[in-house]
Amino acid sequence: MTELEQRLIALGRVLDVPEPPDVVSRVLAEIGEARMPLRRGRRLVLALAALALAALLAALAIPDARSALLRFLQIGGARIELVDDLPEVPGPAELEFVLGKRVSLGEARSEAGFDLLSLDEEPDAVFLGDRDTVWFLYGTPDAVRLLVSQTPGVRIDEPFVFKKLAASGTRVEGASVRGSPAYFLSGEPHVVMLLDELGEEIPESLRLARDVLVWEERGRTVRLEGDLTLDEALELADAMR
Amino acid sequence: MEDRPPTDAALAERAKQGDERAFEELVRAYQGIAFRAAYLLTGSAADAEDAVQIGFVKAWGALGRFRRGAEFRPWLLRIVVNEAHNRRRSAQRRESLAMRAAFADASGDAVPSPEAATLEREGRQVLVDAVNRLDERDRDVLACRYFLELSERETAEVLGVRHGTVKSRTARALERLRAEVGE
Repeated sequence: MTELEQRLIALGRVLDVPEPPDVVSRVLAEIGEARMPLRRGRRLVLALAALALAALLAALAIPDARSALLRFLQIGGARIELVDDLPEVPGPAELEFVLGKRVSLGEARSEAGFDLLSLDEEPDAVFLGDRDTVWFLYGTPDAVRLLVSQTPGVRIDEPFVFKKLAASGTRVEGASVRGSPAYFLSGEPHVVMLLDELGEEIPESLRLARDVLVWEERGRTVRLEGDLTLDEALELADAMR
Repeated sequence: MEDRPPTDAALAERAKQGDERAFEELVRAYQGIAFRAAYLLTGSAADAEDAVQIGFVKAWGALGRFRRGAEFRPWLLRIVVNEAHNRRRSAQRRESLAMRAAFADASGDAVPSPEAATLEREGRQVLVDAVNRLDERDRDVLACRYFLELSERETAEVLGVRHGTVKSRTARALERLRAEVGE
């Protein structure tokens, strides 16, 4: 251990951290409260599940009844939910804030922990964000030309990284990138949010996204976002190596 | 012969089955370090307290995903640290200083002279200021490794990164810190 490391440890031992509060009773009270409605609500949940099943069967019988039916699509670390109505999105997101820490391309490559795909054109800014996601920004945060994200594979017991909510104005098409299945979301913007390791939504990440191509390749989830047609998005995806 | 206290693994396993008393023991055992971690990351006692409380409640809800044989402490700290990060973000305090410049009284065997004590205090202050000038990622990894004295493996678990990333990130953070303190 170097002298600097020893000094840091010594410093840590004398840092003035306030006395920790005793949270035991509050935690137990919250756990108790959380359990009660669960028991009371179980019958309601079952009743709602039965209603949802009936709605599902009805919707399946009617072609193009997507807006009445909640469907899930998943690809890699992304889950796309087709919903009736989009939640309210509080103003434009501060993109730099959402994406994480700004780093150089070299730092992103060494810190990512997985091989990054890239385009010939270098991004204008690179960010390292939640869940080890690397973001390439082309343009500026206020005028984004293209936003590329790459997220390492999620284990089967880990929550998704991206949750996308698409209403009927958003078209969702199946596609393929180098033989890997992909989805292309276009039309009206959809809502995207990031989930933390526990599957909790990170509220600050909630924003409207434009046209997006998302696919899984070599264990990572890749996402291209911009004002793109499917052909343009596929061309860009093919150019990423 | 006295009974040995149950291990974390045993308590976590019981808690997973719904045993609140077992979880209570885990809360008692780790609320201190959880608060310290959250405080170092948020720089706010109130935010740290909220992060710890919410973190424990979330941990209870997530026990189903706690893998048998895994270590409870880093798993819990990761949840609390995530909560602390969320609070720091919510407050738009991206560049908030993680550490205060005040110090608890250092206890030592020898009582230093007033001059030596002043020098020591100034030296620490320089180091705190330098750490505070580092960016969030550097501060977080240094806080885990040196202020919380977590192992590299635990740090990786807490920060949700790979072991190799902790090594490289720590090395770079120390390099930047050396530059900051002019070494």
